[in-house]
Amino acid sequence: MAPHNPSSGHKPRKRRAQDEAVSGGSTRNTVLVDASAGTRRPAFPLVAFLWPARGHVSPWFTIPIILMVAFLFRLATGFWGYSGSNSPPMHGDFEAQRHWMEITIHLPISQWYSYDLQWWGLDYPPLTAYHSWLLGKIGSIFDPEWFALDASRALDDPNLKVYMRGTALVSEYLTYIPAAVVLVRRYSRIQGVNSWEAYIALVAILMQPATILIDHGHFQYNTVMLGFLLASISSMMAGRLLWSCVFFVASLGFKQMALFYAPAVFAYLLGSCIFPRINVVRFLSIAVVTIISFALLFAPLILGAWFDAYRGIALPEIETPPLLAALPFPIDEKAWYYAPMFQLAQSIHRIFPFARGIFEDKVANIWCAIHTFHKLHRYSSTMVQRAALVATSAAIFPPCFILFLKPRKELLPWGLAATSWGFFLCSYQVHEKNVLLPLLPMIVFLAGETGLSPSIRAWVGLANMLGVWTMFPLLKRDELRVPYFVLSLLWAWLIGLPPISLSAYSSQVPNPVNVFTTLIHLGVYGAMIAWHFAESYVAPPENKPDLWVVANVLVGAAGFSICYLWCLWNLLVKSGIAPKSWGGSKAKEQ
Amino acid sequence: MSELYPSIAQCAVLAAALKILLFPAYKSTDFEVHRNWLAITNSLPVQEWYYEKTSEWTLDYPPFFAYFEWILSQAARFADPEMLNIQNLGYDSWQTIFFQRSTVIATEFVLIYALQKYIDTSPTKKTAHAAALSVLLSPGLLIIDHIHFQYNGFLYGILVLSLVLARKQSTLLLSGLFFAALLCLKHIYLYLAPAYFVYLLRVYCLHPRSIFAIQFGNCIKLGIGIISIFGAAFGPFALWGQIPQLLSRLFPFSRGLCHAYWAPNVWSMYSFTDRVLIILGPYLGIPVDEAAKNSVTRGLVGDTSFAVLPDIPPIWTFYLTLFFQIIPLAKLFVKPDWDTFVGAVTMCGYASFLFGWHVHEKAILLVIIPFSLLALKDRRYLGAFRPLAVAGHVSLFPLLFTVHEFPVKTVYTVFWLVAFLIAFDRLAPASSHHRIFLLDRFSLLYIAVAIPLIIYCSLVHHLIFGQRYEFLPLMFTSSYSAVGVVGSWIGFSVVYMSS
Repeated sequence: MAPHNPSSGHKPRKRRAQDEAVSGGSTRNTVLVDASAGTRRPAFPLVAFLWPARGHVSPWFTIPIILMVAFLFRLATGFWGYSGSNSPPMHGDFEAQRHWMEITIHLPISQWYSYDLQWWGLDYPPLTAYHSWLLGKIGSIFDPEWFALDASRALDDPNLKVYMRGTALVSEYLTYIPAAVVLVRRYSRIQGVNSWEAYIALVAILMQPATILIDHGHFQYNTVMLGFLLASISSMMAGRLLWSCVFFVASLGFKQMALFYAPAVFAYLLGSCIFPRINVVRFLSIAVVTIISFALLFAPLILGAWFDAYRGIALPEIETPPLLAALPFPIDEKAWYYAPMFQLAQSIHRIFPFARGIFEDKVANIWCAIHTFHKLHRYSSTMVQRAALVATSAAIFPPCFILFLKPRKELLPWGLAATSWGFFLCSYQVHEKNVLLPLLPMIVFLAGETGLSPSIRAWVGLANMLGVWTMFPLLKRDELRVPYFVLSLLWAWLIGLPPISLSAYSSQVPNPVNVFTTLIHLGVYGAMIAWHFAESYVAPPENKPDLWVVANVLVGAAGFSICYLWCLWNLLVKSGIAPKSWGGSKAKEQ
Repeated sequence: MSELYPSIAQCAVLAAALKILLFPAYKSTDFEVHRNWLAITNSLPVQEWYYEKTSEWTLDYPPFFAYFEWILSQAARFADPEMLNIQNLGYDSWQTIFFQRSTVIATEFVLIYALQKYIDTSPTKKTAHAAALSVLLSPGLLIIDHIHFQYNGFLYGILVLSLVLARKQSTLLLSGLFFAALLCLKHIYLYLAPAYFVYLLRVYCLHPRSIFAIQFGNCIKLGIGIISIFGAAFGPFALWGQIPQLLSRLFPFSRGLCHAYWAPNVWSMYSFTDRVLIILGPYLGIPVDEAAKNSVTRGLVGDTSFAVLPDIPPIWTFYLTLFFQIIPLAKLFVKPDWDTFVGAVTMCGYASFLFGWHVHEKAILLVIIPFSLLALKDRRYLGAFRPLAVAGHVSLFPLLFTVHEFPVKTVYTVFWLVAFLIAFDRLAPASSHHRIFLLDRFSLLYIAVAIPLIIYCSLVHHLIFGQRYEFLPLMFTSSYSAVGVVGSWIGFSVVYMSS
C-alpha cells in the first residue's frame, strides 16, 4: 500500500498491482516483437481484442465487458433451433427439461422419480430436480400454461423458448461464469501468469464453442454441473479442500456425468491427506463433509417421501426398485422407513440406468470405433460391461495414481483432463455431448504457465475443434448448422487455429510445436474439412447410410485418444515422474 | 509505431459473427419493404417502378437506391426466386432472410473501408482509431440495420467516405460527387447538404484566401459532376415526365409533426408539455381542446393537434431548422477547415433532427455518426458527446419491442457505452480553451437516470398497468432522450461556436 496521508483524506490510486499486470510474467507468447522495427503485434486475434486492456485498466471494467460479450454470443445462439423443436412424437432435451419443471411443481416429491417414465421420466440427480422445481415455479408466474400437468407436454411456445433460454443463461451466469473467472485468476496467479494474459485465457474459455452450442443451442444445463466442478477445482487450488468437496458433491448432484471426474478428485484429495505427511484430521473432515453434503443433497427427497407417506399419499405403483429388491434382508412395507428407502432406491435406479446399451447413438469413443469393424452385439451385455470397466480402469489408473502420489495444485487440470478423457473413451453409456467434460479441464490449461504458447494452444484448440466437430451430426438435427460454423470458426480465428490460421504451427515463435505434432494436427484438421465437404455434397452409398457419421466417429475417437495420451504425457513430465528432457519442446520452460 | 489493436477488420469480423447469429431475430416491416423493392426493380420496367403499388410499401427512395436494389435482385434470384415476385406479400422463407440479412452485412464493407480511410488520413491515429471503432460497432447500426433491417451501414459508409475525402484539397471534388450520389440513394441526407454547399463553395469554388476570387475551373468541374450524377439518377424519369410522381413518393407531406413514436426532439418535449398541461389545465384555468385530447396518445400517423399549446404549422419547422443551420454555417464560411466542416455537418444534423417535420427516431444517426468523428478532439467535445451517446441509443430501444431482443439491445448498448465512454475518457486530450460549460455533472446524473427509466419502461410499467397506457413508456423514453439530445446540442453549439 502506498503511504496514506491522513490529513488529506485522499487515497492515492493503487497503481502497483496494475503495473505488475504488465511487468509481472512475460508476454512473449502473446505479443510478438519485431526487433528491427521496434513494433509489437498480437500473436493471434484474441490478443488484439484485449490489447486496450493492457496496463492501467481496472478489472472492474475488463471483466464486465468480457462477460457482456460472452453473454451476447450466448443470447444470439439462443435464437436458433433447440433439440426436438417441432419434432413429434418424443421431441428432445428441451422437452425433457421442461417436463421436469412440470412434474416437480405439480407432483408430491415422492413421485418425482416414478411418474410416467416413458415420457422423459426424471433421470438426473436431485439437484437438477430442485433446480427444475425452482424454474418451474418462477416460470409459472409468467404463464402457468407452460407447465400445466400433462397438458403442457411437447409445448413449442415461442415465449416458453425465450423463458427457457433465459433460465439457461441465468443458471450459467450464477455458476459457471463466476467459477471460471475465479479459477482463471487463481490458477494464473499460482502459475505466475500476468493478469492480462489471464483475461485472454478467460475469453478463450468463455467463447468455447462446444459449451455454448450445447447449452444455449441444443439446450441443456451442463454449465451448472461444469461450474460446480470449476468451483471445486478452484477451492482445491486455494487449499480449501472441504469446500471443494461440497462443490464436487453439488456437481455430482446436478448431473451424474460428473462421475468422469470423481476418481481424479478422489485421488487428489486422498493424496493430499497422505503426502507429504499423513494427516488423519484432514482425511476425516473430508469424509465427514462429503457425507454431510450427500445427506443434504438427498435430504429434501427423503424427508419429502417420508412426509408424503405420513400424509397418506400412496407410493407410486411401479415395480420395486431393483436396489430395494436386492436387499439381503426383508423389509416391512408398512414401516416408517420404507417410503424414504423406496424413494432413495428408485432415484438411484433412475440416475444410473445400467440396463441401457453400451452406447446410445454414435459417439466418438473406442467402443463405437471397434463396433464399426467388429460388431459388439455378439457378446452378452455383461461381458461388454466388464470389458468397459476394465478398459476404463486401465485408462484412468495412471493419471489418478500420479495425482495421488503428487497432489500438487498445478497438476490438477492435467489429471482431471486425462481421467475424463479416459472415461469418455472407454466407459459405458457415453453421449457425444459428454465430450464437454474432458474439454473443460483441458481448456483451463490456457490459463496456466505457457498456456497461450503454440505448444499448448494448438493442442487445446485441436481438442475443442474436434470435440465440437464430433457433435455436428447432433447439432445438424437441431438446425444449429449456422451457429456451429459461426461459433467454431470464430473461436478458431480468435485463437489462431486452422482452418483459419496456421500461426500456432509457426516455428518462428517461442515454444513452437514440433514437426511431428504439426503433421498429426494438420492431418486431423484436413480430415475434418474433407468430412464436411463429403457430408454435404456426397451421398453415402445405399447399403451404408451411416457412412459419414461412422467416419466422424472414427476420426473423433482417434483424435481424442491422441489428446488423452498428450494429457497423460504432460502429466508425467510436469509431475517430475518422467524426466523433463522427455518433454521435448512441448514442456520446455522458457 | 502504431499499435492500433484490435484493428477495424478484426472488429468487423467479430461483429459479423454476432450479426450472422442474429439472422433469425425479429425483423420489422422494413424487411418486407426492401423485399418488395427487390421484387419491383427485378420484375418491372424502370418506367413503372415509381407507379407500382401492389404492396402498401411503395418505392419511396431516390433512383440510385432503386438501382442498388436492382443489382441485389440479380443475386437474389440464385437464393430464392420467389422473393422477387411482387404478389408474394410478406414472403420470408429462410433463404430470403439469409439473403437479405447477408446483403446488409456485405454492403457494410463500404463503412469499414471508409473508417479505415478515416484512420489513415487522421493526424492523431489513436483517437481516430477509437472513434472509428465506435462507429463500426455502434448499437444504432446493430439495432437498425441488423435487427430492425435497413442499409444504413452502407449509406453512412458513403457519408463517412465523402467526409474523409473532404480532408484534402485534391479530393474535394470527389467528396462532393460522393455526397451527390448519396443524396440520390437516400434523400434524408438533404438535411446535411447545406454544410456541404457552404464548405465546397468556400474552399473549392472560391479562393482559399479571398472570397472574391472565384475559381471558375473548379465551379465548372463540380457543376458538371453534380449535374451528371443527378442526371444519371433522375434523368430517365425526367424524360418520361415522371418527376412529379417521383417527388410525391419521396416527400409525402401529408404526415404529421411527430411520428407515431415521437423522435426525441424539441417537438416531443413540446408534446410532452402539452400532455402535462391537459392534466394541469383545469387547475390553472387554461382552456383544453377536448377534440385534440386523444390524438397523440392513439399513436396514429396523422396530423398532430395539441390540446393546450398552439399548433405548429409545417413552415415554422422549416424556418426553425433553417435558422439553426445558418448560424453554424456562417461560422463555417468564416473558418473553413475540416474540423469545422464536420462540426457544421453535425450541427445541420442536430437542427434538422430537433426541429424538423415528422422526424423519425432513426435519424439520430445523422447526428451521432458525424459527431463521433469529432468526439475525441478534446474533452469539451466529449462532454457534449456523452449525453448524446446515451440518449440517442436509448431512444432507439422502442424500435425493438419483442422479449428475446430486449436483452440483446440493452446488453449490447450497455457494452458499447461502457467500452467506448471509458476508452474515450482515457484518450480525449485536455482542451486548450477554458471550460465554459459544466456538463460533466449533468451528464453523469443524466446517464444514471437511464437505468431506472429502462427498467420502468420494459418491466415495471407492464406489471403495474398491463396493456393500459401503452403510450406512457414511449413518451417517457422519448422525453428523456429529448432532454439528452437537446442538452448535448446546446453543449456542442457552445463548443463549436467558441472553438
